[in-house]
Amino acid sequence: MSPVRIISTLGFFFVLFVIQESAVSLIHFPISGFSLYLAIAISLIAFEDHNGSLVTGFLAGIVLDLSPTSNAPFGQWALILTGIAFLFAVNRDSIADLTSSPITFVIFVGAGVTLSLIAYLLFGSLLGEENGSLKHDSTILLGNLIWTVLFTPIFLPALSRVREYSLTARERV
Amino acid sequence: MARGGGNRSRLLLVILLVTALFFITLDLRGVSLTKGSRSVTQTILSPVQKTVSTIFSPVGRFFSDVKNFGKTNAQLQEELALNKMLKSELAMSADTKGQLAQLKSVLDLAGRGNYKVAAARVIARGSASSFSQTITIDAGSSSGIRPDMTVISENGLIGVVKSTTNSSSIVLLMSDPSFRVGVRIARSQSVGVLSGLGGSNYSLVLLDPAGTIKTGDILVTNGSENNRPFVPGVPVGVVVGVDNSNGSLTQTGTVYSYANLNDLGVVSVILSAPTTAPSQPILPTPNPVVTVYVTPTPTPVAAATTGPTPTPSAQPTKKK
Repeated sequence: MSPVRIISTLGFFFVLFVIQESAVSLIHFPISGFSLYLAIAISLIAFEDHNGSLVTGFLAGIVLDLSPTSNAPFGQWALILTGIAFLFAVNRDSIADLTSSPITFVIFVGAGVTLSLIAYLLFGSLLGEENGSLKHDSTILLGNLIWTVLFTPIFLPALSRVREYSLTARERV
Repeated sequence: MARGGGNRSRLLLVILLVTALFFITLDLRGVSLTKGSRSVTQTILSPVQKTVSTIFSPVGRFFSDVKNFGKTNAQLQEELALNKMLKSELAMSADTKGQLAQLKSVLDLAGRGNYKVAAARVIARGSASSFSQTITIDAGSSSGIRPDMTVISENGLIGVVKSTTNSSSIVLLMSDPSFRVGVRIARSQSVGVLSGLGGSNYSLVLLDPAGTIKTGDILVTNGSENNRPFVPGVPVGVVVGVDNSNGSLTQTGTVYSYANLNDLGVVSVILSAPTTAPSQPILPTPNPVVTVYVTPTPTPVAAATTGPTPTPSAQPTKKK
């Protein structure tokens, strides 16, 4: 990943973060909320190659750690999304291509979002954070999974085009 | 590079993980750099949140309004098309009226408790990317708001100020699992601790082993030293269930809060509470009960009727 792309990715994630915190979080979704940020971050991680996934995951996590409403220590999301990115990187062949099997891709994105939230909960518990009852947490996880699977196909084509546009000629090859 | 990562890839992974762990360690050790970065983010975010909230608040309950779509008939749809702009303005007006009504109610509650308050509008809710329950309000340190101040809505306690910037504050809602507040039962003055469970129900644990909880008991805040984070006497909720299981030292119960945390438009931050006398609880005003006395018209009685004839005033009254 070139330095220019790192900066542009960081900027993109920050804009996305502002949209999530100021607009998406205002919507009262049935069951539970939807994290547009996580859905797009996991999609981008799935698009990238091995090293690109790791860097994208780390950058997405660092921006998410800036959330002023978060109780978690700074760096927790960076650690978790880097770990999720590693899982995506080593299982790249299973995830397949967006154009060849979009449904599988969407399912993987949904699973990635849910897995990252579970990892966030578990890691938070290790650090002594209180995350509520099992029923409450399960509702949030289920709600996020449902909304991610429903909304990801809507933004995925546009996201794919934006990413292609941001690639350098060398990276396109 | 081999699939699954070569040496360079592994090195990158280790560097990124170590960096993340380094940040976590810094944060847990209380280094101000990480806290400062979040404060800067909040300063950048709050103007955007204010603007988006103004535009977006009529649309925020889109999903709950969807069920009403079926009620619109063809005529209404035509009118909707004709008056699109007017209806948009009305929606904004209704939203403003709703906020005004909430403001009136919350100021009424604050007035009953003689609290000095700062009213604020809710401009954002906590992120879905974390499990914490927070709201962001459009008033900050410039309005006299400081961390650890009590926040109330029209019906009672909703949370406590977590952090502030010049023009905005983040409020930790009472439904957050990390939220704890000392409460006392209005009936018996027994003291307990109320905890958030993430949803609309709360857990109450009495501190007094001899104390008892009853369904319907009203809870008010017990108050903190120097009124921070909690001023005394603010209505919190009502007990809806009691756990009488053996083996626990004190009684526990389930509480339902007075404030609806899903419907917050305008809130008040208590800047100071009266210091002259111990605050009386500002218990919620009971709904007025209309009592109707029905006095039946006396029927004509024949002179030959035996036994005493009850006079109308002596007849039992029927209470509805």
